[in-house]
Amino acid sequence: MNEFASNVVQAEDDDAALEWLHANRRTDGLPVVIPTAARVRSLLAASDLDPAMSFGRIGPAMGDATVEKVVINAVMAGCRPQHVAVVIAAVRAVCDPTLDMTEIQSTTHCVAPLVIVSGDAGRAAGVASSFGVMSYGHRANLSIGRALRLCLINIGGGWPEISDLALHGHPGAISYCIAENAEASPFPPLHQSLGVDAGSSAVTVVNVEAPHSVLVLPEAGDPTAPDRILTAIARSLSTLGANNTLSGNGSVVVVLNPDHASALAAAGHDREAIQRELAARSGARVDDHRAVAPPSRLGLFADRADHERLPSIKDPSQVVVVVAGGTGLYSMVMPSWGAGPHQNRCVTVPIEPPRRQ
Amino acid sequence: MRFAEAGIPAVALVTEKFWAQGEYVAKVAGLPDLPRVRLPHPVAGRTPDAMRDIADDIADAVLAGLRGR
Repeated sequence: MNEFASNVVQAEDDDAALEWLHANRRTDGLPVVIPTAARVRSLLAASDLDPAMSFGRIGPAMGDATVEKVVINAVMAGCRPQHVAVVIAAVRAVCDPTLDMTEIQSTTHCVAPLVIVSGDAGRAAGVASSFGVMSYGHRANLSIGRALRLCLINIGGGWPEISDLALHGHPGAISYCIAENAEASPFPPLHQSLGVDAGSSAVTVVNVEAPHSVLVLPEAGDPTAPDRILTAIARSLSTLGANNTLSGNGSVVVVLNPDHASALAAAGHDREAIQRELAARSGARVDDHRAVAPPSRLGLFADRADHERLPSIKDPSQVVVVVAGGTGLYSMVMPSWGAGPHQNRCVTVPIEPPRRQ
Repeated sequence: MRFAEAGIPAVALVTEKFWAQGEYVAKVAGLPDLPRVRLPHPVAGRTPDAMRDIADDIADAVLAGLRGR
């Protein structure tokens, strides 16, 4: 009798099992950890949840994201027990209709879910927040992000050109998970700013493009540094060709390195002030818009002066500001799709620790 | 799809680029024969006049779909 609701596939050995998973589009293109009964049982125990419990449906296939299915994907991603609570929180976010995950999975744009972990649970899970936070080497970051993508494939039915029409995608679609660098951040935890109790931990999931670097050169004793940081970041979020630049809609993410964050805080900027400043300084010039607009849209700029900027961020609350990464010259920005019924909003979900530790 | 599932006549408007994806979603939803009309891609960013032209072009096909033809 099958102890699992999922089908059990018989294979001669690990190699045969892996080939079956590849051939049946159950992987992200890379080898996965074979989800044996023992491994799935172990991670189910770590979840401390009823395997049949559902977090909701993931589109476009509208598969049922049960605890069992999520855990199977977490096993395949290489997750360890300490990663499971974070994966579950990310899946809960993805099942929230506000995230428009069906539309996100389907669009021709490259957008992919970024998981930002904040609070002590991120540290307990080992999610890195400092140097190379979006790069290789960080087991928790990569495993958790990968587990989410495998859920989007195996539960949500996402696959290039079949259901996911992204023309190019980007490497973050494989795994895209960072932790907030709370030790180095002068601001309250991200989840607290987004309405979750400060004492909790949470994931904030937001669908965005690949990160883009923003260089701001420091100079000792320079009082203009905070101003220059804000302008550089705002203009980097206003590049011609970004969806947000065209529409002014959609969340954008700003990952401040600790040095940039400190400089802004020392000048009296809190998170909300940074959001307002970035929105106010955002936008490409009208003459640049005209240079790339198709003929039928030129009329939209008829009454505008060349030097005017049309905001790429209409609503300051769209800007997700988080401190992460190592110290130095660079912060990062991630623009977004800016479309969908909920206009590419972020969703924050508390991380619930297992009842049994 | 919700309307179709409720037995209400429905037509899905699907842009060219998403046609194959529409087939996938309809099949997965158990509605492989859901009437669909093809739109040019993209729709996003078109002016209201351009949208009216597209609507004129597809009106007959939409009506046919709603009438079950």
